[in-house]
Formats: sequence, structure tokens, C-alpha cells
Amino acid sequence: MKDLLQLNHYFRKYRWILLLGSLLLILANFFLIWIPIYIRRTMDEIERIAEVREIPYTSVWATLVSPETGWFLAVNTGYLIGAVLLYGLLLFATRQTLIVTSRKIEFDLRNEVYNHLQKLPKSFFDSNKTGDIYTRATEDIVRVREYFGPAFMYTVNTLSRAGIIITIMIMVHPGLTFWALLPLPILTIMAYWVSRYINRRSNEIQQQYAMLAGKVQEVYSSVRLIKAFNREEYEKERFLRESKRYRRKKLRLDLVESLFHPMLLLLIGLSIVLVVWQGGIMVMQGVVTVGNIAEFIIYVTYLTWPVASLGYTLNLLQRSAASNSRIQKLMNVPVERDDYQLPEGRTNAPSGITELKCDITFRNVTFTYPGADVPALTNITMTVKAGERIGIVGRTGAGKTSLVQLLPRVYDPGEGEILIDGVDIRHYDLASLRSIIGYVPQESFLFSESLGENIAFGKEDATSEEIRKAAEQAEVLENILEFEKKFDTILGERGITISGGQKQRTSIARALIRKPSILILDDSLSAVDTNTEDAIVSHLDSDFGKITMFIICHRLSSLRHVDRIYVLDEGNIVEYGSHDELMTRDGYFANMYRKQLIEEELENI
Amino acid sequence: MTSTASDKRSGNKKSAQGKAVDSYLIRRLYFFLAPYKWFLILALAFTLAVAFLGPLRPYLTQVAVDDYIANRDIEGLGKLMLLFLGVLLMETALLIANTYLMRWIGQGALYRLRNTVFEKIEKLHIQFFDKNPIGKLITRTTSDIEALNDLLSSGVVNIIGDLFRIIFIIGFMLSMSWELSLVSLSVLPILIYATFWFKARVRVAFLNVRDQIARLHSFVQEHINGMNIVQLFGRGKRESEKFEKINKGHANAHIRTIFYFALFWPAVEVIASLAMALVIWYGGAQALSGEVTFGILLAFIQYVRQFFVPIRDLSEKFNTLQSALASSERIFEVLDTKNEIPDPENPVTPERKEGHIRFENVSFRYNDSEGDVLKEASFEVRPGEIVAIVGATGAGKTTIINLLMRFYDVTSGRITIDGVDIRDMGHHHLHSYFGLVLQDNLLFAGSVMENITLGNDDISHDLVKKTSEMVQADRFIRKLPGGYNHRISERGASLSMGQRQLICFVRALVYDPTILVLDEATSNVDSDTEYLVSKALETMMKDRTSVVIAHRLSTIQHADKILVMHKGRIRESGTHQELIAQKDGIYRRLYELQYREQLKTG
Repeated sequence: MKDLLQLNHYFRKYRWILLLGSLLLILANFFLIWIPIYIRRTMDEIERIAEVREIPYTSVWATLVSPETGWFLAVNTGYLIGAVLLYGLLLFATRQTLIVTSRKIEFDLRNEVYNHLQKLPKSFFDSNKTGDIYTRATEDIVRVREYFGPAFMYTVNTLSRAGIIITIMIMVHPGLTFWALLPLPILTIMAYWVSRYINRRSNEIQQQYAMLAGKVQEVYSSVRLIKAFNREEYEKERFLRESKRYRRKKLRLDLVESLFHPMLLLLIGLSIVLVVWQGGIMVMQGVVTVGNIAEFIIYVTYLTWPVASLGYTLNLLQRSAASNSRIQKLMNVPVERDDYQLPEGRTNAPSGITELKCDITFRNVTFTYPGADVPALTNITMTVKAGERIGIVGRTGAGKTSLVQLLPRVYDPGEGEILIDGVDIRHYDLASLRSIIGYVPQESFLFSESLGENIAFGKEDATSEEIRKAAEQAEVLENILEFEKKFDTILGERGITISGGQKQRTSIARALIRKPSILILDDSLSAVDTNTEDAIVSHLDSDFGKITMFIICHRLSSLRHVDRIYVLDEGNIVEYGSHDELMTRDGYFANMYRKQLIEEELENI
Repeated sequence: MTSTASDKRSGNKKSAQGKAVDSYLIRRLYFFLAPYKWFLILALAFTLAVAFLGPLRPYLTQVAVDDYIANRDIEGLGKLMLLFLGVLLMETALLIANTYLMRWIGQGALYRLRNTVFEKIEKLHIQFFDKNPIGKLITRTTSDIEALNDLLSSGVVNIIGDLFRIIFIIGFMLSMSWELSLVSLSVLPILIYATFWFKARVRVAFLNVRDQIARLHSFVQEHINGMNIVQLFGRGKRESEKFEKINKGHANAHIRTIFYFALFWPAVEVIASLAMALVIWYGGAQALSGEVTFGILLAFIQYVRQFFVPIRDLSEKFNTLQSALASSERIFEVLDTKNEIPDPENPVTPERKEGHIRFENVSFRYNDSEGDVLKEASFEVRPGEIVAIVGATGAGKTTIINLLMRFYDVTSGRITIDGVDIRDMGHHHLHSYFGLVLQDNLLFAGSVMENITLGNDDISHDLVKKTSEMVQADRFIRKLPGGYNHRISERGASLSMGQRQLICFVRALVYDPTILVLDEATSNVDSDTEYLVSKALETMMKDRTSVVIAHRLSTIQHADKILVMHKGRIRESGTHQELIAQKDGIYRRLYELQYREQLKTG
């Protein structure tokens, strides 16, 4: 519960509107109780008149128009209707203030969580399951809203309504009040108990459901093996077992849920029995009137939901608290470091960078992924001059991607340093460092937006000419123009899917539109044929001039024209040099190259 | 997101095809309820009883006031209240029993339905799994079925119950005073109108909320996955703005539904209270002219409040029914899928199980729009022979195994085993020929033992142990914590590649297959394990027909015959020595590419 206190600054921000909502709600409840009061007054008055008059009225009509009775009936009914309308109006206003505010708080909180997520380092996303992070930003926030919304409103409602009604009841007759309220505490306890049980069991059911889905996934994804070993029947039985277990757990919850509503009915019914019975005896004794019984019956029905909601609210609070503590934990994860503690003797103020002037140096860089035992890169040293083209090759897992990811500081090296124009990159302002780098990741991740927006992603306020130009340079313009909606073609779930090569080239266009000083292509041409690749390269030559490039590549023939090739193996640079130098050395690279030649040859048979 | 889209689609389809589809779907769904027929009838009886007992309560208060309180009969009142209590307890008991009964019936039907869907999908042909993403199939087996919960557990019975409750309430009211009934029920049209007005608005608003939630969720999901890109391209501020807009849309959608609810709940309260006001006004006058009693007034005050519940429930049921039918349509689509590789009607069983394989002019394509992935392949494997299949990626090696196992049916030509076309053989018998080891060395979450036997109780512990010893897997398995009962984590991540491979070998061998089908793993294992693996392979292939997609040198050197696949055709065949002698052959090049290096390292 302490966790919820951290949310109280939202209460502060919205305190006036919440206060207003609470006042409206209290006022609504105040008008609500005039309904039973006027019913009682009317009935009492009728009783009195009936006793006074010897001869009853001849007809309903005669009664309604009679000056004495008709007038008071009309007036009382009028008051009643007035109270009802005021109540309705106030209740409407309450919901419009309190619940709407809870949605606004949810909005604020979600923005806060998302903005925080955006600042977290890659290592956070590596070490946390996507599903968990996702839940924080979605479901957990929904839970926290329930604290501000229903939980707050119900609490105010229960307290004010119960306060007013019980006061009135006691004013009418304390004894009858006792009988009417007798079953209600049980109702609160029951509601609390049942909703707690439901929460717990729901979690269990959720788990079993996940288990069932997991079983299904396992079977469907290994269906060949299952068929080959004639295990269909066995897997079916295993599924049946989980399915049965799921049913059993669900039914256990169903049992409690089936108890809840009828028990509510029973307790309210009990309350009415007691009111009619004890009230009846009191009527006979002349202590109360039949009007009072009617009044009490209505009071009891008015109290039902607020009293039951008390138990429900308590659970809601517990769940909100649990969700909130998870959110707070996330909010406490430190954001990407802009203020890296530099070694002694250097200033700590980040400075901007607008282009690469001189060179990039890796000096004894060793890097280990957070949580890993073995370093991904060991003692890397290399110098790249501005405008050079560098090829990086090696087997899967050799450390190629790890190497280039260090440049835009996706990760920071554990030992050693990386210098750009002689300055440790941690010294630059992170945003400006990244602004000079065009990164094309291995997996061409595009967003579910239009193609144009995806390309413009690389540059703030890109004009349509710039987008077009970048598409042209990445050799994807023709493809885009073939789509019916051209640059407005929407990708992803609701849109169309494009081929791997088109994706890669769009992703390249996204990097090129930045007019970067440094371009990193992480195996970004694998799905592009050689002719297109050559075209892209010649665009780079003519349009970008002195761009520095890091090209990770599996197709070794593509690297014929680069200035230098680094061959990585298990995190070490094993060879480097120009294409020709490496071929003459007849080492690792030459061997790989020969194999690719044979492959190409085979391909053409 | 996808479910939203398909919901809408099926919604449109339904309105186009009319109610015929609905009643057809309900009839099909009834099949799953059929075993519970008598329980359903019992539930209906319970529901009717409850629908009657509820309105009985206000009636009893009327009797209490008019017959006992008015006559100062304390004893009579006490007795009546006991009766009241009895009615209340009975109603409660029946309601509990009935709610549970209906849930029980519903869960039973869901259970049957879920199992049927699973069994159906599991038995379907492999190509079905190629065409449908696993996620979709999982949805069919799980959440689509959950969506039918309300419909199957309480749907129809409750609708009948609600209707009868309304009838009973009106009946009681009319029996007390038809005049007062008419006056107080005059608000009913407003109530019904308000309810349906609200339902229609809220339905639209809810659809919007659902879209907004989907938008929000997919944005969050996508941006968690692509956070790296957002950060690398310095787009934090822009994406924040975009998120805020979507978040705003989400909040606004909710605020709109809040508006309808804020309008509706007070309106209901107002309408119910208006009815009470009418009762007091008109009923009061009636009381004074001696037409109704005080008890009747009291009863009417309760009836007008009771009335709303069944009307609201009815309007709600209508909605759940609609969305449940959309789900059931998707489920039946799966259930109606034809198995394209069915068991033959009169399966033929070869006289002797020898493992003699023949491919006769076999061609295969996945579908007509694509070209052949295997072209006129003919070859023969005699009992006990080892055939190695080599070729580049995509040459058609795996296709041969897939066709042999009858995961797909040949497009033309035929495959026979021991002289019988595999299409004439029963699946079970065909598969009992094979011991299969796939490249990915698939292990399940479960014990080592379970992974080896795959739950087959006919395989004894001794056999597993003996077989493990044979391929020298016993030694490392015993060293695992728990030995054969060691629990393997999902996909076998806790074991090394070589260990996983050895376990898969044991799995294939305990079934004592006539034909060993092996897709050798390409990934390297350390040299100790490599030695174990190649020894194990030798043992395995001894006295067995073996079809191997070969990735290791020793396998091709030991093979009786090598089939060289290239672009869907068998281009060369022969022994290693014969093939290597062909100077310009594909095999020679492949050998350079894939195998020669092993000579150096091995």
C-alpha cells in the first residue's frame, strides 16, 4: 500500500477537480435519500387521511382532484421527481469529473512511462523480456488507473452514502436500523473474501492458460517430429490432461463466482425479511409506520452495492499497489548515460559534433555483453581515416555487429576507448554523436507507418524531395512508385508486406537521408542482388564523396573495392588489409573467398 | 489488431448472409452441448423456478403488510416471514446450483470443443502448418474457444430466464392491480428505449475503444522492439509526440464511453425512481379510494426496481452472442479443413518389413503457381544400404525426406517401401518404419527419459539405458543432475549441441526403426563429442537402411551410394570414389566446399 503513496503527486495535480467530484458525489447521495423520505411521507400522510376520513374517495380521479389530498400528492410527487432529477444530474457530473480525471491521470502516467522507456539503454531491453516491459506500459497502468478511478469513487460513494443513510435510519428508528443493517457487515467481508479469491484463482487460471497455449505451441511447431514418431495420440492425451486441468481450475473459480451473486441476494433478502418482520411488529406497536418499512426497504437496496464495493475496492487497491510497485521499479532504472564519468584529467561537459573530420580510432577495446562470461570483442585496435571504406567479415558470432554497435554507443566498451577526431566518443553529446551516424541494422526494422514516414524517420522535418532523393540513392524509388499509394503505402500488420530486399533498401534510405558522415551497413545488402548493390554503391560514390563506411558483409566479392577489410574471429581481429593483400596472404579470408567462388560456380551450373 | 479486422469482416459477412448462418452455427455448436442435454433441461427448469421466486418476494411483503401487520397478527407475521426466509433460501440455493450447473455445462462443452480442435489440427497435413502461422492456430485452439464461454455456459438459458422473469413480474403486478401496473409500466418504453439507445452508442464507442487499445498496444509493442532504432536515429522527441497523440486518442475513446455510462446509469436510476413516483402518486390515490392496499404499494415499489435487471441483461446477451458467433465461425473453418493427406481406406501392409525404398520418377511442387522443387527423382535403396544425399542449400535434399515420410504427397511418380506405394500404407504403419533425427535436434521441456521415449510406455527403462550405452550417451546422461530424470529446459538450451544430438539419436534408436532417416546437424561440435557422434552414427546405421542428408565427411565416405542433388534434380550418383573421379562434376565442387576442410581438422 505504501507504493501507492508515490502516486500522490497526481492527486495533488488534480486535487481541485477531484475535490469537486467528491463534493458532487456527496451532494448526489444527499438528494438520493429524499426519494425514500418522500415515499415515507406520502404513505404516512395517506395513512393519516385514510384514518381521518370516514368514507373513502369514490374514485382515483376524485382523489387526485380533491383539493386536500390531490394537492399534497402532487406536491410530494413533484418534490420526489425534483430530487430524482437532481440526483441524476449530480451523478452524471460526478462520473464526468472523477472517472474522466482517472483517465487523464492514466494518460499522464503512460506518457511518463513511455518517455522513460525511450531513454533506457539497450542493455535494459536485452535483459528484460519484451512481454514484461510491454505489460508495464499497458496492463499495469490500467491497474493503477483503477486506484484513481473506481477505487476512489467507490470509497467516497460508500462513505458518504452509508453515512447519510445510516444517520437518517437511526433518526427514524435505531432498533429497526439495527435489524436492517445486521446482515451488511457479512456482505462486506464476503465481497472482500470473494474478490480476493477470484484474483488469486484468476492468476492461477492465467498460468494454466499460458501452459495450455504453450503446450499447443510446442505440438504445432514440432508437428513433423510428432507425426514421424507416431506420437499424435500421446500428445493428444497430454493436451487433454492440461485441458482438463484448465477446466478443473476454471470450475473452482466458477464455484466461488456462482456463490457470490446469490449470497448477495440472500443477505439483502435477509435484511428485508428482518425489516418487514421486526418493522411489522413495531407497526403493530405503533412505533413506526408502514411508510417506514417502505423507506427502509429502499435504504437497504441503496446500500447493497456501496457495501459490497467496499470489499471489492480493498482488493482493487492491493492490485493497484502491486502494479504500481512494478512501474516504480521500472521508473527507477537509470536512463542512457550522457554523463559518463571520463578518466581523470578530462573535462566532463559533453560537446557537440557535426561531422567526422579526421579519423576514428579503436584503442584496445574489449567488450563483454552485460551478463555474459566471455567477451564479445577482445583488445580491438584499429584506425579508420575519414572517407575510408572498411569491410568487416567473419563467421556468425565473430563480433562484427558488436564492433559497429560501439560507435553510436549502443553499448560502451568495458576496457579501452574509441576516439573520433581524437576525442573519446563518450565525451560527445550522445544525440549529436548519433546524428552523424547512419546505421542500417542487420534486421531491417521498419515501423507500421507509410514508406515515406519510415524514410523520413532518419531526419527531422525531411521534405518530400529529400525523401525521394534518399529512396533513389537506396535504389528503392522504383519499387515505391510501383505501389498504388507510392510513398503513402502503409507497412505492417494492417498494411502490405514488402520483400526483404525492399525492406533493406528502405532501411538504407532511412540512413542516407541523414547525410551521415559515417555509414554503417550491418549485412544490409544480403537480400539485394549484385546489380542493385553496385548501383547503390555508385550513388554513394557520386553523392556522398567522403563518407566513411563500415560494411559488414557475407558476400565477399562485394568488398573488392573497399580500402581495408578486417577479419574477425571469436572477437579478435585475425587478419586485415586490402582485398588483394588478403588474397595474397592466402589465409582465412582467401579460403572463404574461394569457397564463395565455388558456390557461385555451382549456382550457375 | 488482426482480430479486430477479422471481427469486422465476419460481421459484415454475417449481415450479408442473414440469420441463416447464425442458426447454422448454433446448431453446430449444439453438438458440443449435446452430451449435457438433460442437464441443460434441468438448468432451464432451475432458471424458470428462480425467475418465479424472485418476483414472489415483493408479493410476500404485500401479504405481510395487508394480512398480518394490518390485522396485528404477530404470530401469523412470524410464520409468513419464515415462509419468506424459506423462499429466499430456496431461491439462493437454486441460483447457486444453477449458476454452477451452467458454468459446468459450458466448461464441459468448451473442453470438448477445444480438444476436438486440437485433435483436428494435430492430424492435419504438414502443408496446413506451412500455410497458417502457428500464432493463428494457437488462437483457434485457445482464445477463440474462450470467446464462446458466455454463449455456451449461460447464453441461451439466461435469455429464456430473463424473458420469463419479465413475464412473471408483470403477471404479479397485474394480479394485484392492473391499473397501477399500467401506470407504473408506462415508463417501460422509455427504459427499453434508453437501454437500446445506450447499447447502440456504447457498442460503437467500445469498438472505438478496442481499436484505440489495439493501436496503443501495437505502438508500444513495436517501439519496444524497435527502441534501438528510435534511439540511434535520435527520434526520441518525435516518437514521444506520436505516442502522446495515440495515448490521447486512447484516453478520449475511454472518456467518450464514460460519457455514455455517466448518462446511462443515472438515467436508469431516474427512470426507476420516476416509476416509484408514479406508484406513490397514482397508487396513493388508489389507496385512498380503497382500490389498492398499502401492501400493494410496497410491492410495487419493489417491482419497479426489479424490472430493470432482466432488460439490461437481455441487451448485453445480444452483444456477447454476436462476438461469440464470429469466433465460432473461425473455429469451424478449421474444423472443416480437409486433410489433404488422409489415411487410405483400405491400407495395405507389406508382407515383410525390410526397408526397401524406391523413388520412381518423383516430382514435387508445393503448389501449382510455383515450380517443381523436386524433378523426376528416381533411385533405389536396398535393405541395409546407406544412401547419402548431398547438395547445396535449396537443392531439394529435405524434400526427399519429407516425401519419404509422406509429410507431403508426390505431385507425380511414386514412392514405394517394400513394394507398397506409401500412399496405400496406413500412416501409423508407415511411420513405424522410421527413426528420424532432424537437424535442429528438437528437444521438449521435460525429462531426458520423456524426451527419449516421447511418452511411449512400451519402451522400458532398460532399453533406453542399453541404447544410450550403445551410442555412448549413457555416460553424460548419468552425470546430469537427476540422470535420466534430469529436466531439460525448453528447446534443450541447458545441454550442449553434441549432447542434444546424442539424445536425439537414442530417441530414434529406441524405436528400433527399419529405416533410419537422418538430417545431419551442420553446426560444429567439439572434437571429443564429434568422435562420440561419428562412432554413434556408425552403430546406428549398422544393419539398417539409412537415408542421410550428409554434412560430415565420414558419412559420405561410408555411404553405399551418394545422391548429388542440384536444383531439384539428382545430378550424379555413385560412391565417393566414383564421384570424386569426375573432374568437372558437381560432387567434386561440393566436396571442396563442404567436406574437404574436415579432412584437415578431423
